[in-house]
Amino acid sequence: MGIVDVKQLTKMYKNNRGIEHVTFSIEEGEIFGFIGPNGAGKSTTIRTLLNFIYPTGGSATIFGKDIVKDAKEIRRHVGYLPSEVHYYDDMKVIDLLTYSASFYKVSDRRLKQLAERLDLDIYKKIEDLSFGNRKKVGIVQALLHEPKLLILDEPTGGLDPLMQHTFFELILEERKKGVTIFFSSHILYEVQKLCDRVAIIKEGKLIQVETIEHLTKNHLKHVTVVFEEGQYTSFDLAGVVKKEMNGNEMTMLYKGDMNELIALLHSLRIKDVSISEPSLEDVFMHYYEKRGMNDV
Amino acid sequence: MFKREWKRNAKSLMIWSIVLGGLVFLTLSIFPQFAEQQKEVTKLLQSLPPAMIKAFGMDQLSIGDLTGYYGVRIYMMTTLLGSVYAAMLAANIVAKEENDKTIEFLLAKPVTRGEILTNKWLVVVVNILILNAVSLLVSFIGFQMAKEYDVSFKAIYLLTLATVFLHFTFASIAFFLSTMMRKTRNASSFALGLVFVTYFMNMMSSISEDLSFLKYVSPFKYVDAAPIIYDLQIDPLYTSLMIVIIISSIVAAYVVYQKKDIVT
Repeated sequence: MGIVDVKQLTKMYKNNRGIEHVTFSIEEGEIFGFIGPNGAGKSTTIRTLLNFIYPTGGSATIFGKDIVKDAKEIRRHVGYLPSEVHYYDDMKVIDLLTYSASFYKVSDRRLKQLAERLDLDIYKKIEDLSFGNRKKVGIVQALLHEPKLLILDEPTGGLDPLMQHTFFELILEERKKGVTIFFSSHILYEVQKLCDRVAIIKEGKLIQVETIEHLTKNHLKHVTVVFEEGQYTSFDLAGVVKKEMNGNEMTMLYKGDMNELIALLHSLRIKDVSISEPSLEDVFMHYYEKRGMNDV
Repeated sequence: MFKREWKRNAKSLMIWSIVLGGLVFLTLSIFPQFAEQQKEVTKLLQSLPPAMIKAFGMDQLSIGDLTGYYGVRIYMMTTLLGSVYAAMLAANIVAKEENDKTIEFLLAKPVTRGEILTNKWLVVVVNILILNAVSLLVSFIGFQMAKEYDVSFKAIYLLTLATVFLHFTFASIAFFLSTMMRKTRNASSFALGLVFVTYFMNMMSSISEDLSFLKYVSPFKYVDAAPIIYDLQIDPLYTSLMIVIIISSIVAAYVVYQKKDIVT
């Protein structure tokens, strides 16, 4: 039995879609990614698991305990980082963290260590903190009581790249200790970097649970080229997936040999070029097109 | 959690205690002068429209006597202002967490929703008791300044007890509203509206016989000063009515909150 077991979990709202028949399972010690575009139902799933909202169908267990009946027991060993961190503005960081710690057994040392790692000034007032710094408070708060399961909802939003790096380090350290991590994101490269497996959710439905290698083995790239006047060529390379022209600007998805692409670009007069990670949607679309699953 | 809630609301308790205490003290401290000029006052009162006298309950209580003076002037402040305080406090205490989205923090902790409500309600109860203790204490100091006048302590205690009941009544209703609403603005306007509307109803019911049915819907009527001072008891019917309101509001608050989807 997994650390988290979700069976046919459904949450319907009166007016809008929630999630429908979501089923997946997270094994002990793995980093499990949960990806999908904004509004796909990632937060709804997480909030249901934490019993902020009640499921309208299906069931789920965490540590083998029912998410509704044993919510309090479960929360003792869960660390949660919300996507938007909101805290009591009248408190100082240290007050909030001590308050948080008062619900568990926590050593002072752990608090100080975590704050130091994240370069967080604990004597500042929360209302004076920037978005990124609030997020840091959230991270400390989620890790403070050494939970067995970490639930992170879009954890890196607002963190600068340096902090993201520290954060990933912290996550990997926790994993080494055997902590299970459930990580939602709409940014592919984050998930790619950290996760063992990912669940893909779209429009409230879980599409697939995949290993990361499987999902990204095509090394799909998003390429934009701005040609100089009259320099357009049809770009007939093996591996061009989706191509669009807009004036002198061409965008495409490319999964072929990088050297061939560079060689071709080299032979042309171009104004600008960018080669970047594809959007999540592009990856999904391509992934499913290839497997003949356009209908999902 | 109790400590945290206590701290968060301590400042407003202090301000309200000082304001209410100050008003009570000031009002009591002018009583000796007031009593001396009683003749003119009686004349003045006679010149007031009878409806107004009735509205403030001055037709039944003698304002020249210290107990009556307390029953009319001080009592109006402690019941009305205290109810405003109680309603605001209780209306905010739960809804504020959702309003400020801090409930996500609290609900991720190993606590049940019931425990959250219990802690918050206890803070409301303690704050109301403290506010009333302050007003009673200040009244005693005030009475010291009017030593030569008699005051019925039994009546004063009963009036204070009635005030506490009244405050709990409004607080429990506001607390229930607080668990239903997602915005503090809504919860506190509803609760405040309730206090003022029922206060107004009470006044109307005293003025006009036609409107006397209103007295059953106004908790202010339940704790009317005149019968308490004359009979030296709070009407048991009204007392039980208030207890029923308090208990059912609190139970409803727990039921609603237990089932609520908390979406921030």
